[in-house]
Amino acid sequence: MIAGAIYALVASGFSLIYSTNKFVHFAHGGVIALSAYFLFWLFSMLEISFFIATLLTVLFSALLGYLLNKFFYKPFRAKKASASILLVASIALLILLESIALLLFGADVKTINLIKTTQGMEIAGAIITPLQIAIVLVSVILFFSLYFFMKKTKIGKAMRAVADNKEVAEIIGISSEKIYSWSFIVGSAIAGVAAILISLEQNITPTIGTNLMIKGFTGAIIGGVGSVPGAILGSFLLGLVENFGIWFLPSGYKDAIAFILLFAFLLFRSQGILGIKYNQK
Amino acid sequence: MIDAYFIHLLILIGIYLILAISLQLSLGYSGLLNLGHIAFFGIGAYAYAILALSGLSSIFCLLIAGVLSAFFGYLLSIPTNKLKGDYLALMSLGFSFVVYAVLLNWDQLTRGPLGLPGIPRPLIFGFDFSSNISFLVLVLIITLASYLFLHRLVKSLFGRALEATRDDELATRSLGKNTFRFKSISLIISAFFAGIAGSLFASYITFIDPSSFTFVNLIPLLLIVIIGGIASLPGTFLATVFIVLLPEFFRFVGLPSEILGPVRQIFYALALILIIYFKPRGFYGKINLE
Repeated sequence: MIAGAIYALVASGFSLIYSTNKFVHFAHGGVIALSAYFLFWLFSMLEISFFIATLLTVLFSALLGYLLNKFFYKPFRAKKASASILLVASIALLILLESIALLLFGADVKTINLIKTTQGMEIAGAIITPLQIAIVLVSVILFFSLYFFMKKTKIGKAMRAVADNKEVAEIIGISSEKIYSWSFIVGSAIAGVAAILISLEQNITPTIGTNLMIKGFTGAIIGGVGSVPGAILGSFLLGLVENFGIWFLPSGYKDAIAFILLFAFLLFRSQGILGIKYNQK
Repeated sequence: MIDAYFIHLLILIGIYLILAISLQLSLGYSGLLNLGHIAFFGIGAYAYAILALSGLSSIFCLLIAGVLSAFFGYLLSIPTNKLKGDYLALMSLGFSFVVYAVLLNWDQLTRGPLGLPGIPRPLIFGFDFSSNISFLVLVLIITLASYLFLHRLVKSLFGRALEATRDDELATRSLGKNTFRFKSISLIISAFFAGIAGSLFASYITFIDPSSFTFVNLIPLLLIVIIGGIASLPGTFLATVFIVLLPEFFRFVGLPSEILGPVRQIFYALALILIIYFKPRGFYGKINLE
């Protein structure tokens, strides 16, 4: 459930960007990793109060997403690069961002000691810490606001229009470039929240982004590519399957379980749970 | 001393070349965005290491390593055959994560993160390849053989059919060709050679651990294939020499070892981004990555 909530945050941001931009933004994981380190830097090294530090982190990740789109992906789009080129480019970008984090902060794990995670209460036989409840609450609130944002606001509606059919959206006067920017900003801000929550729950390592990204896109594909509610659903399912899986297999196999689930879905239901048929190219 | 270093570099170039040209077969000639190649390399390396450590003859280990990788190539080709582009890329990448997780966690077989030390150098038909110079000869022979084989293959009727499948799968299928079979055979052969490269790597370094087969190691490999040009074997050869030699300069600059790793990764990642931005066809490529 906790894992699912964080995966769902990653997946919904990823899915939002995928639905409008139509390419796999792998470097989303890099945004998460850098945001987590940014929070660590603000909170543990500069000793800024936690509340302000989290706000700054979300701003930072949104800005990072915006800049990546503007200075990285936009030039590629201007050259009419195919989705595969963008995929390879974003993998390289992910490695680049992670290496920068590694260079700046070193390979040793960092922890943010805000709340004692050891104390917990027992609910239905499982030990749950207040932090974990907070994670689930924050995620649920965020999902609802995202839902209203997509359904009610002008930008949200325009995003869905571009995701549906870019050409038609442009005919009625929606600037697709502007929407790409917005989806990067919103998607990355959600990634920032995910980064905050994961860094409270776990240690920060340079590869944190890659690991979360695997889960994020697995969740997104299981749920149906380009469908944000699907991504959320898929991620919770993934979190659940993983945690049941480690009853049978050592916990190191978590990543493998995620992928076996992904294989199964791609084989039997490649459009995902809620997705419509993915049209190739 | 310089000679020993030179031999070391030549061996690395040979191993990387086998790996890169085999990736060319699946990525370049067949148009399969295969991001799981490093996993086949890992399977080959581990298969060789485990078999050789249990005292089996080297040539047998080498072949089994190749065949086992090829078998996994076949397994991967079953679910991925219908997929294209992004999905295939994600699946093959996913496959490499699964392989990595298994290598890391199957302690009884792979000793997990501790790795496998003391892998013996090959002894083939009574001929001992334990010194670096004789090992170089072995690597060169196998590299040359692989290069010639793949060269013949891509020029053959089968190679043409692969390229036709890559360029227009529907049209090829309507000519009555079984494109699924082509793609699957291409992946199998590609994986076989990656496995061979893996076993050479394992027996040369004599120690392997899962960290040599992670996702990060994919970047230089992709870089080689793209710089050399998609579907160009001579280009791949030049690119391999270039990419293996280039980071050696960092060693001479005298960076401390703890930042050498990240700097090298940044370098590879930046180079890959720049090359696909400015020259997505590479230097000798004929076609675009799609």
